[in-house]
Amino acid sequence: MVFEGLLIIFTKERYLDLFLEGLANTLILTASSFAIGFMLGLLIAVERLYGPRILRAALAAYVETIRGTPMLLQLFLLYYALPSAGIAMSALTAAILGMGFNSAAYQSEYLRASLRAVPSGQWEAALSLGMTKWQAIRSIILPIGLRSAIPALSNELVYLLKYSSIAYFLAVVELVYAGKIIGSETFAYLEMYTLIALVYLVFSLLITRSMKKIESKIMIPGLAVTAERT
Amino acid sequence: MSDIVLRVEDLWKSFGKQTVLRGVTFTVKRGEVKVLMGPSGGGKSTLLRTINLLVRPDRGRIELEGIEVFPRPAMKINKIRERIGFVFQQFNLFMHLTALDNVRIGLIKVKKLPPEEATRRAIEALQMVGITEDLWHKYPAQLSGGQQQRVAIARAIAMKPSIILMDEPTSALDPELVGEVLKVIEELARRRTTMLIVTHELDFALEAADEIMIMDQGVIVERGTPDEILRNPKHERTRRFIERILRRQERLNTLK
Repeated sequence: MVFEGLLIIFTKERYLDLFLEGLANTLILTASSFAIGFMLGLLIAVERLYGPRILRAALAAYVETIRGTPMLLQLFLLYYALPSAGIAMSALTAAILGMGFNSAAYQSEYLRASLRAVPSGQWEAALSLGMTKWQAIRSIILPIGLRSAIPALSNELVYLLKYSSIAYFLAVVELVYAGKIIGSETFAYLEMYTLIALVYLVFSLLITRSMKKIESKIMIPGLAVTAERT
Repeated sequence: MSDIVLRVEDLWKSFGKQTVLRGVTFTVKRGEVKVLMGPSGGGKSTLLRTINLLVRPDRGRIELEGIEVFPRPAMKINKIRERIGFVFQQFNLFMHLTALDNVRIGLIKVKKLPPEEATRRAIEALQMVGITEDLWHKYPAQLSGGQQQRVAIARAIAMKPSIILMDEPTSALDPELVGEVLKVIEELARRRTTMLIVTHELDFALEAADEIMIMDQGVIVERGTPDEILRNPKHERTRRFIERILRRQERLNTLK
């Protein structure tokens, strides 16, 4: 079935183009939204742990709002509501931002858990040496906490890869949408979807394996690992 | 006057309903080694932690080399802490850094020394505590407790602080590792390093201390030279405390 799906892609140049466009968009969506989510998520995590009280409360509200509403709805709001406020963007941009903002909320929770799991003695030792709060965070807490966050972040990356298919609803030609178009023209839905499922599987395995590699490369004796997304 | 490094006056601290420090007063002179002893829960650790403001006292006064630390710090708190070395019971070496980098990081980040200069000073400190070259690039988890605590002491002395506070530096160690750490601290004492040490090691205290203070229930109940404390304790409580330690040591000795 996978083989037949592959055959279909190669019957017409247009199908191959569609498939590659879909694959490219899926990967762009995944990588960009993960990057945005990581940077924002780290900022949120650090501010929620060490920032001023008002900011903490505001960020907690943001995280709970994102986690308490469907991602699809968040994308729709970003894509359809913002133009009325004078901000228009392409469907792909809207999807990247929407997924990024969504992932930021989740990643901030994993990062926060990892940073909090750094033993308090590390913090006290840093301050006792005369480090400022930010020096202690940058030189001690982050290097230790981020290492133990890798398994959870790896999970999040795989999650984003799979859920980037949600951009389908904004008519972004990502893998699932590309498969649907080709399927509808060739009446070979089953073959196309099977092929695409396999592509997702291959890429998620790739992600998991490379994150494991990174982890073992920067792991340090005596450091533990924390929880993952459910 | 400039002779006094640390001055603590009428220091009070409560945690909720529990009053841990009830008006503690003492001074530490330059080159002096003071040992703080007493039953667990007597406020010794809290006292040390208030001095470098890891714990904020409720009232009283702390001065470091004539500079007000509490209640109104005369300089930034991190600048004050830079001048107070702290050695923890649990070592608290930075777990993601090698032994050498644990000693270097304060010199680089806080003292802003150039990397080569920091390395030179770190190595000097590590050699002083007997950490040999084969251990410099090991991570804390790869070191024994005694080695970790010696690296932690090196981390403190490399900063050349005005005083070093030690909070039960050997209490978390296996018995056979206590000696190597005490030897290092005794060497520091011989070099007239100003120190305030909380410990239960009576032999060490008698050997190394210029003055021993006994603390119980948040107050210093007795103070004096090791001789005075041992031979002629003024308080019944001190006598009982010392007897208890001596009995325990006898037990340990018969076990050996």
